[in-house]
This record gives sequence, C-alpha cells and structure tokens, in this order.
Amino acid sequence: MSAAVQQRLLELWETPKTLHGLLSTVDHKQIAKRYIGTAMVFLFIGGIEALIMRIQLARPDQNILGPETYDQIFTMHGMTMIFWYASPILSGFGVYLVPLMIGSRDMAFPRLNAFTYWTYLFSGILLYISPFLGQAPHGGWFAYTPYTSVPYSPGWGMDFYNTALILLTISTTGGAINFIVTILRLRAPGMSISKMPLFLYSTLTVSFVTVFALPALTVANIFLELDRRWATHFFDFARGGTPLLWQQLFWFFGHPWVYIIFLPATGMISMIVPVFSRRPIVGYPYVAVSTVLTGLVGFGVWVHHMFAVGMGGLAMSFFSAASMTISIFTIVQIFAWVATIWKGWPVLTTSMYFALGFIALLVVGGLSGVVTAVIPVDWQVTDTYFVVSHIHYVLVGANMMPVFAALYYWLPKMTGRMLDEKLGKISFWIMFIGFNLAFFPMHILGVLGMPRRIYTYKAGLGWGSTNMLMTVGAFILAFGILISLINFFRSLKLGAIAGKNPWNADTLEWSTESPPEPYGSVHIPTVISRHPLWDEHEEEEDPNGERVLDQDRLTLSSSWLDAEVLALARMPNDTILPLLLAIGFMAIFVALTFQSMWVIVGALVYSFAIAAVWFWPKPEEGELA
Amino acid sequence: MTPVYTDKLSPTTKAPPPVRRVDDKRGTFGMALFVATEAAIFLVMFVAYYYTDKSSAQWRGEIPPKLHYALPMLAVLLSSSGVLYWGEQQVKKMRYGAARLALIGTILLGIVFLVLTYFEDVEHLKTLTPRTDAYGSLFYTITSLHVAHVVFGVLMLLWLLIMPRWEPALYTPHRPYHNIGIYWHFVDTVWFFIVVLLYVAPNIYNYA
Repeated sequence: MSAAVQQRLLELWETPKTLHGLLSTVDHKQIAKRYIGTAMVFLFIGGIEALIMRIQLARPDQNILGPETYDQIFTMHGMTMIFWYASPILSGFGVYLVPLMIGSRDMAFPRLNAFTYWTYLFSGILLYISPFLGQAPHGGWFAYTPYTSVPYSPGWGMDFYNTALILLTISTTGGAINFIVTILRLRAPGMSISKMPLFLYSTLTVSFVTVFALPALTVANIFLELDRRWATHFFDFARGGTPLLWQQLFWFFGHPWVYIIFLPATGMISMIVPVFSRRPIVGYPYVAVSTVLTGLVGFGVWVHHMFAVGMGGLAMSFFSAASMTISIFTIVQIFAWVATIWKGWPVLTTSMYFALGFIALLVVGGLSGVVTAVIPVDWQVTDTYFVVSHIHYVLVGANMMPVFAALYYWLPKMTGRMLDEKLGKISFWIMFIGFNLAFFPMHILGVLGMPRRIYTYKAGLGWGSTNMLMTVGAFILAFGILISLINFFRSLKLGAIAGKNPWNADTLEWSTESPPEPYGSVHIPTVISRHPLWDEHEEEEDPNGERVLDQDRLTLSSSWLDAEVLALARMPNDTILPLLLAIGFMAIFVALTFQSMWVIVGALVYSFAIAAVWFWPKPEEGELA
Repeated sequence: MTPVYTDKLSPTTKAPPPVRRVDDKRGTFGMALFVATEAAIFLVMFVAYYYTDKSSAQWRGEIPPKLHYALPMLAVLLSSSGVLYWGEQQVKKMRYGAARLALIGTILLGIVFLVLTYFEDVEHLKTLTPRTDAYGSLFYTITSLHVAHVVFGVLMLLWLLIMPRWEPALYTPHRPYHNIGIYWHFVDTVWFFIVVLLYVAPNIYNYA
C-alpha cells in the first residue's frame, strides 16, 4: 500500500522536468532553491563591488576609481547587499523550511509564492540595467534628498533606484503575507502556538513588520520619483516641501528593515544551537517573546539614524531610550543561546562554528549599536567609519554568519549530500579572521575621524596602513567564502549521503527524505511537543491512511492558536500565470523608469487581464469531489 | 454561505479525509493583510501631509478645499458600501439575482463617484495643481491614489459581475464576492478619512 500511496502522491505533486515545468512550478522547495541561489549571486556581485572599493581605498590619493564611479559602486554595493541579498536569502530559507517545519505540503498561496520570486528576480535585473547605461544610482542606499533630486542627480540612476525598489517591495510584501497565512493556518495538527519552532516566531514577526513598515519605503519612493520626473514638490524646500520628510519616511521603514534581516537569522540560530548542544533551548518562552517585542519596539527607534539633523531634546531622548531598550531583547536571546551551550553537550560542527562566530560578532556589533544610541557619542561618530563598522558587524555578523551556519546545517536536507566538515571549518576560520581584519580597524578610523563615503583621502592623515590592512582583510574574507562555495559544489558529487536526519535534530523538516519528495511527508504529521523528533510520539502514525490526503492536491488547515484541524486546504496546480503576471509588472516598472505612459497603460491592462484569468473559477470535475 | 464539504475517499487507502470541510478562508485572510498594508500606505501619506504642514514655512495658501463635491462623494461611496453589504447578505442566502443587482448598483455608484471626481478636479485645478507647491503635491497624490483604488475596485466588481459562480467550490474554494467586498469597503473607508483629514479639518482650522 505504501508504495502505491507514494506513487499516487508523486503523480499529484511532481512538476515535470520540462521547460514548461520549470517556468510554471509552484513547488515551494524549487522556488526556495531559486531564492537562495539568486540571493547568493547577488552576494557575490555585492562582494565584488566591495572588493573594488577596498582596492581604491587601500592607499591614499589613489585614482583607480573617480568619485562618480566610486559613488555608484558603493550605492550598488549597499542596495545589493541590503535589499537583494540579506532579506531574500532569509525568505529563501523561510520558503523552503516553513512548510516542512509545520508539516504542510506547500505555502498557503503557492502561486503567489512563484510570483514573488519572479518579481524579486526581475526587480534585481531592473536595478542592474542601470550600470550598463553608465548611470547607476549614486546617492547611497538611503538616498537622502535633496542630493537625489534632479538638479543634483540628473541621470537615470535614481529613477532605477525608485522603480526597482517599489517592484521589490511588492515582492517582499507578497512574500510576507504568504508567510503569515501559512504559519497561522497550515500548521500540523497539535502544533499549537506554544509549540512552534522558534524560527517560525521570527519569520512570523518579521512578516508582520514587513506588512506595516515597507509601505513607508514605497511612499518615499513614489514621492521621490514624482519629484524627479513629474515636477511635484514633496522635498523641495523652495515650494513648501521638506527634505527631512524623506529621512523620516526612509528610516521609519529602514530600522524595522534591520530587524527584518536580523530576526530570521536569530531564529535560525535558535534552531541550530540547541541541536548541536544536544538539549532543548533554555528559556523558549523568553526567546519567543523577545523576538516579537524586538519587532514591535523596532517601530519606535528610527529617529536614532537622524540624531544629527537637529531635533527637540524630548524626541531624541525618547528614541535614544527606545534604542537602548531594544538591546535588552537581543541580550535575552544571546543569554538563552549561551545558557543552552553551557547546560548542554556541545558538538562543534561547522554549523556550530558559524553560530558561535555569529554570537561573538553580534556582541561586538550590538555594543557599538548601544554606543551610537547615546546621543553625544552619536554626534561624534555619525557619518564616520565607526558607523560603517557597526553596520557591518551587525549585518555580516548577524546575517551572513547565521546564513552560513544555516547553509551547513540545512543544505544536506536540500541536496541530500553532506558538506565537508574540514573544508567548512577552514572556511569559517578564514572568514572570521578576514572579517575582523577588514572591519574592526574601522572603529578606530571612525574615532580618528575618517568620514564614510569618500572615494580617497590625503596621505598625511595617517590612515593609509590601517586601510591597507582592511583591504587585505576583505580579500581574506572573500577567499573564505570562496572555499565554502567550492565545498558546496564538491558536496553535490562527493558528499556523503545525508539520510533523513544527519544531525539527529528535533524539528519536522528532518522527518522527510533528503531531499524531500515534492509532497513532503506521506502522512500529514501530528505534533504533541516542541521537539517532535525527540519525543515518544510517532508523527506519521496513521493506521487507516486518513492523513495521506491523496484525493487531490490537499493539505490540512488548522486553527491559529491551538492548531486544531479545521478544514482541507486545496492547493493549486502548477501554472505559468505567476511568471506572466511578473512580466507584466516588470514592464510597468521599466516603463515607469522612462515615463512612457502608453507602455504603462498597456502593461497595466495586460496585468489586470492575467490576474483576472488567475482568479477565475476553475471548472469542477463532475460532482464536487 | 455554506462551505464545500467532501466525502471523497483516498483512492489508495480508501480512508475518508480526517475533516470534511474545505478551507474557504485563506483568500479572505490574504485580502485582509493586503488591505492592511494598503492602509499603511495611506496612513504614511496622511502622516507625511501633517508632517509637512507642521514643518513647512509655506503651506496651503489662503483657501481650504471646498466641500460641495467631497461630502456628496462621501455619501455616494458610503451608500455604495451599504448596497454591497446588502449584496453579501444575499449571497449568503443564495439569492444570486438580488446579489447581482446589488453589484450593479455598487458599480454605478462607483462610476458616479468617478464622474464627480472629474468635475471636482476640473474646478479645483484652476486654483491648485500638483505642481503648485508641496501642499498641492500631497493633496493630489493622496486623492489620485484613492481614485486609482476606486478604478481598480470598479474593475474588480465588473469582473465579479461576469463571473459565473460565487460560492466556494472544491477547485476554487474561496469567496470572491466577500473578498472583493472587503477591498471595496476599505476604499470607501479611505475616502472617509480623506474627507475628514484633507477637506474638513483644514476648513475648521481656517476659521478657528
């Protein structure tokens, strides 16, 4: 019977390996691999941009890059890393892991999932058209007005900045809505909200943050683009506008965004550290609650990016206090991880190395964050390399390190092959040393007064040797990443077979095959504890075969709090409509960049028509099932 | 409206499903979140409006916007929401003819709103344009974004009108009438806030 069941499930869920299948699949595992792969490509592009900048800055008075080229490269580096790598890579892990962790067969909206991937890809392509026109955005990733208005930035660069980002916010918001509905409605029977893996808490939190914070960026981009090409006056001081509005809107989005690219990474660490400490995490409820509180309080700290613009003392004190408060929630998590290791029996795998490296770097980055939340210190170091150092300790430390920990931990699930531990550890040490060499000296340069975003500096300032050291460090870091890349490709052929659960981990994704079948698990699992694979309960125990659900593409829908079974959730079949709709959106935003009205109208009509077909009732087969 | 139930047995294990009801709420949940993020967009724009008001040296000449179009337009949209709500009740009672009439009524009221918008703008643009100053930019961006939502809403209602079936079914287990209704009520609510914040409040402010 079991073989027949699997055969039947495969027929229902498998995407044919044809070109049409590739373009029309809605399988979350395939889409997630594309997310991760695309995000890694952006990581390498952004990394190369960073290395070019480091070469330029290695010695004083260099002229390898002119000021305009340098501006374009650091802007593209920032945008690529922050928008097209750091968040999408976490979405990729989320899209792969969330359905498997909750025992569902797909995301709540599989076609939306495909659509958000395509729009993410297209928005990245749209952004990278600009360097080929020689007019990449050059206003920094936060693009302060009035520098980015037409008199000072007449080229197309900032138009690409606006349109590519608006397209990306559509993708990111769609993805966030998908995560929320998936996590709140499709959890396996019994996985009540107090038994969810912590990764789901962080993904759920940042998805809500995305829904409410991203609109500020969209609005800021709309205003700037209208100012630039449609002659309005939002940021035009001479006509009653105010340039500071841009900063308020951008940072109201911007600081929550820091948590959007930070919290899922801490969620992954909260999954990895307990497994390699061979015990449940210490203080599960505190970690869960501080995750949610970080997301909430994250809405009230944005002004600390603007302490230098000149505001009332009360407002600044409030935001300074909020910024210091939020560090408490991070500290709760750090203590929980340390206590878990302390009370456990740690196994030092490569993944654990990266997790430990993350904790170390996060403490440094967190401390320099608390320091900059103190207003007098902030006034001293703002717009210097101290801030550059802080952002890199937090973003590389708190995003890239966990991502590599996650890659070493979950890639065996995705490919079915183990990565080499020895190579992995070598890669870790090289990355860790290179990272600290490249970024720690920036603290010192910042205090010495080296401003950020300068394309070169004078020889007599005494910054030369430190900068050379940092450049060497950056190349060492890049070399370490390269080793992990080689390790990955090597594992695809030579890696040991992973099996279902190579780490003896506790969560549901490890109960499926490696790589998982298109349908996930044969029987929808049931859960009675926080550690389904460590307890006595058999998840797929189902003697009558009620939960194979092979009548159709089906999975179970459950209540959001207690995860009691509510209904059968019918999942859509593979379709090319998401790609067609994404092409329509791409056309809209390319046309917007160049203000060709008729193309915009045509693309809107086309997109509406595709969406109308998408949601049209499908013919039912004879009787209602 | 009754949801779909299924008794279909598994073709391989011959077992019935663990639950008979088919989920019809995911689409509604998704629409609610979509409306939430859209509401955030309008909220951010309202905040931008008042932020610029407070920090700008030069804001809104002497004349606040006139109310003689805005208030009737509010009445039109609110009544359209009422009509559509009544239509949703009819769908629940499976009186599809009445629901279709309500839909036509809502669409007509939406079109009346758009026509009134046209006349209002023709008049208003004589004294203020989006290119006059930051106030004009904010005022027209917010109202135009709302008009775009009304147009999109009317298009969705038209699409709903020609749809052959509104009740959930196994392959399309969502409730389009209800979900598009959520969107339309949201668009109407936004106009209420625009009238209060952008039309009425400046008038009071001016006389106070």
